[in-house]
Amino acid sequence: MPRSFRIAVVLATALMILAPVGLVVYQSFLSGPFFQPSSTFTTQAYAFVLFEEDDFREAFVNSAIIAAGMTAIAVPLGCIMAFLLVRTDLPGRRLIEPLVLVPMFVSSVVLAFGFVVALGPVGIVSVWAKGLVGTIPWYLYSKTALIVIAGLTHVPHVFLYASSALRSLGSDVEEAARSSGAGPFRVALTVSLPMIMPSILYATVLVFFLGFELFGLPLVLGDPERILVLATYLYKLTNKLGTPSYDLMAVVVVSIILVTLPLVYTQRKLLAAANRYVAVKGKASAQRPLAIGAWRWPAVGLIVAWLGFTVVIPVSALVLRSFLSTWGEGVAIWPNLTLAHFRELMGYPNLVRGIVNTLLIASVGGALSVGFYALVNLALHRWRSRWTALMDYLVLVPRAMPGLIAGLAMFWLFLFTPVLQPFRQTLFSLWLAYTLVWLAYGMRLVSASLLQIGPELEEAGRVVGARPAQVSRDVTLPLIKAGLVGSWVLIFVTFVREYSTGVYLLSPGTEVIGSLLVSLWGTGAVDLVTALSTVNLVLILVGLALMFALGNKRHA
Amino acid sequence: MPKLAIEDLHLRYGAVEVLKGIDAQFEEGSVVCLLGRSGSGKTTLLRSIAGLEEPYRGAIRIDGRPVYDAGAKVNLPPERRDLGFVFQSYALWPHKTVFENVAYGLRLRGQGKADITRRVQESLDGVGLGALGARYPSQLSGGQQQRVAIARALVYEPPVILLDEPLSNLDAKLREEARIWIRSLIKRRGITAVFVTHDQAEALAIADQVVLLDGGKLVQSGTPEDLYERPATLFASEFMGTNNTLSVGVAERRDGRALVDLGGHRLWGVDRADGGTPAGKGVIRLEAVRLAEGAGENRLPAEYETSIYLGNQFEHLFRCGGQTVRVLSDRRAGPGPHWLECPPDRLWVF
Repeated sequence: MPRSFRIAVVLATALMILAPVGLVVYQSFLSGPFFQPSSTFTTQAYAFVLFEEDDFREAFVNSAIIAAGMTAIAVPLGCIMAFLLVRTDLPGRRLIEPLVLVPMFVSSVVLAFGFVVALGPVGIVSVWAKGLVGTIPWYLYSKTALIVIAGLTHVPHVFLYASSALRSLGSDVEEAARSSGAGPFRVALTVSLPMIMPSILYATVLVFFLGFELFGLPLVLGDPERILVLATYLYKLTNKLGTPSYDLMAVVVVSIILVTLPLVYTQRKLLAAANRYVAVKGKASAQRPLAIGAWRWPAVGLIVAWLGFTVVIPVSALVLRSFLSTWGEGVAIWPNLTLAHFRELMGYPNLVRGIVNTLLIASVGGALSVGFYALVNLALHRWRSRWTALMDYLVLVPRAMPGLIAGLAMFWLFLFTPVLQPFRQTLFSLWLAYTLVWLAYGMRLVSASLLQIGPELEEAGRVVGARPAQVSRDVTLPLIKAGLVGSWVLIFVTFVREYSTGVYLLSPGTEVIGSLLVSLWGTGAVDLVTALSTVNLVLILVGLALMFALGNKRHA
Repeated sequence: MPKLAIEDLHLRYGAVEVLKGIDAQFEEGSVVCLLGRSGSGKTTLLRSIAGLEEPYRGAIRIDGRPVYDAGAKVNLPPERRDLGFVFQSYALWPHKTVFENVAYGLRLRGQGKADITRRVQESLDGVGLGALGARYPSQLSGGQQQRVAIARALVYEPPVILLDEPLSNLDAKLREEARIWIRSLIKRRGITAVFVTHDQAEALAIADQVVLLDGGKLVQSGTPEDLYERPATLFASEFMGTNNTLSVGVAERRDGRALVDLGGHRLWGVDRADGGTPAGKGVIRLEAVRLAEGAGENRLPAEYETSIYLGNQFEHLFRCGGQTVRVLSDRRAGPGPHWLECPPDRLWVF
């Protein structure tokens, strides 16, 4: 690609990243909304939020506690499960392994509804338990329950990094420990896990960081007892003071970014360290699973229990509830089965539009996003330049922006910029926000396939007479085609699942299932929420099936 | 005028100087081998000629026309240098058939459809793969892939073809056949070829001109016979062939001859002092040392140590004045004292 084109792509991406953030920072120093000419520069919003607002302080402390707590649960559990599933002769591990990742693909707001429907005060499981022991032995709306659920649902993130690191570890180091007399769990604790420490550390920072971004779970589970975290505080702020207080919201956004940006930066450094570590002993030849004997059954029990609690119970309760005309104590299941909620769903034009829009933005929008990520990647491909380094750092910014914040910033940007105003209530604004939020993720998906192309394949193109653009078209792109399709499927699932980015952009014409769920939950329409969640789950299932089919095809 | 001229070429990766001023000229129609250890800069030099690396000083000219000239700020991109390049890994495009791999260069040159079909077919016939055009590279053996890579580099008739260790991925038997085959193919076409290798036997077998590189500098350039029989430096003489390198005391240098002392015994040799390396080394190729029947001119008494059976001959190890001397011979040898003869014209004294 010609240099000028590369620079143009970098500049356009930089603009797309920095404009919304810049606007938020600018707004945080104003006395009123940025579009009001009477607004003046001031730091009074900071003074108010940071020193006078007790709710903000409480939300901040809650976020820190929940992030730390869920990290303490997710990391050990994720590591143990990775070791069990990757390195031991656990029965049925081939079957269980893909299932472990399922919570990553289900929107956390849907999971949260599932927990309410299953384990809430009148939940399906709760009522059953009450019938058994006379009382419900748990309380779902406590901070402890929130921490436990957040921790358990983030196990897959740890599992993903720990298992891929374990896979690249030669089994000779473990066999050496076994033959020196160590039992399987001693091997895990003293050899395997210490050797993948950099990856574990990376996953730890990731989960802690995700804890600060938590929105769906605390929105649903924290609301009854008014447990606020940073993201839900921001969401409530819109209504708290009667009028939307732009300056205060901007300050909260800036504070969140100031917390997450250093975490993202640390993560980046850790990832580089982890990759170095793996490359040193990337000898993955002939891995033999470790026999753990009688420990196999409690180990399987642990994993099945986790899977049952985090996926099976909430999801099946939610789906079941969507087919029940009503639910409460003393209500029987069989006589109350109905399709009425789905019929009702089809009666609301905005909900139908939401489903159609979700499909559009995930399929067409997802393809366009992958195209955009590929373009940016190609522009940076094999280019040793300061621009590439700049881009590396720029990509960290959207990573530090939770979807809710990116959606808000994008909403303001479309309000603020005259050229963009006509597009505010179109899917374009939503697509742009989605593309921005998942920029780092999508870039990594595409670059993973680009990295697999040997440089000499492209050099060979140049030598026989192709210009850089012709090499991109005739050599590079065809070679990453399969990778791009795979990325598109992953982005499809990601976009279907997304709920927080669209919250502020929700308007007639830009409804998507995720943001509709958030706003419907506020109105207490449980029947519609469960029906719409079920639709969402089905769409995700379609995406996963597509992924599975493609994966199998590539192996064949 | 040389076909390809390299003038004072300098290149660095970050702070590391990789090429430290290379001067070389390659004649039209000759097969040139860039020979050196890994890290000597030979592949970097080849890639610089192709435009895949960017030097910071010097010039590269093809037919007198600069493709790179730091002084004149000329640096043609690879696609405008019109060269053929055969990669070590062959770099065949896995998504294109053999035919399409070869045809790509012609398509880029805007050739007509019929023309392309004819020339690709000729080119594939030329490398003996005429029937395999519809296959994908993954369906070919290593040797066939190499031939496709060569056909791809030759099909648009570049004046110069560059080959980066093209034989290193073949097994030993195939490699020896391929040497002869590639040399005759290039010779038949009459084009200039530059060939990188770290294998001296390969260089001697294929090349008209061998360029020996070490540490980013040119050590010696000449015919294979020049390099093997008249190495200019201690490095060159030790790099080529298998040698006995002996520490000697130099007693006298006179008229291109040198008298050395080895464990109290006097030997005459050729004076090869190059000024660069510290004096006091005698180098003699294993095959030049002879087992003698008794004392005599330029002979050394030696104590037998051990023998290795190589199949076609023996390699004997002797101790001579505290140093080990290896000798090739088709005769067995046994324990006891022996005499070794070092012909004066084959003992090089540095």
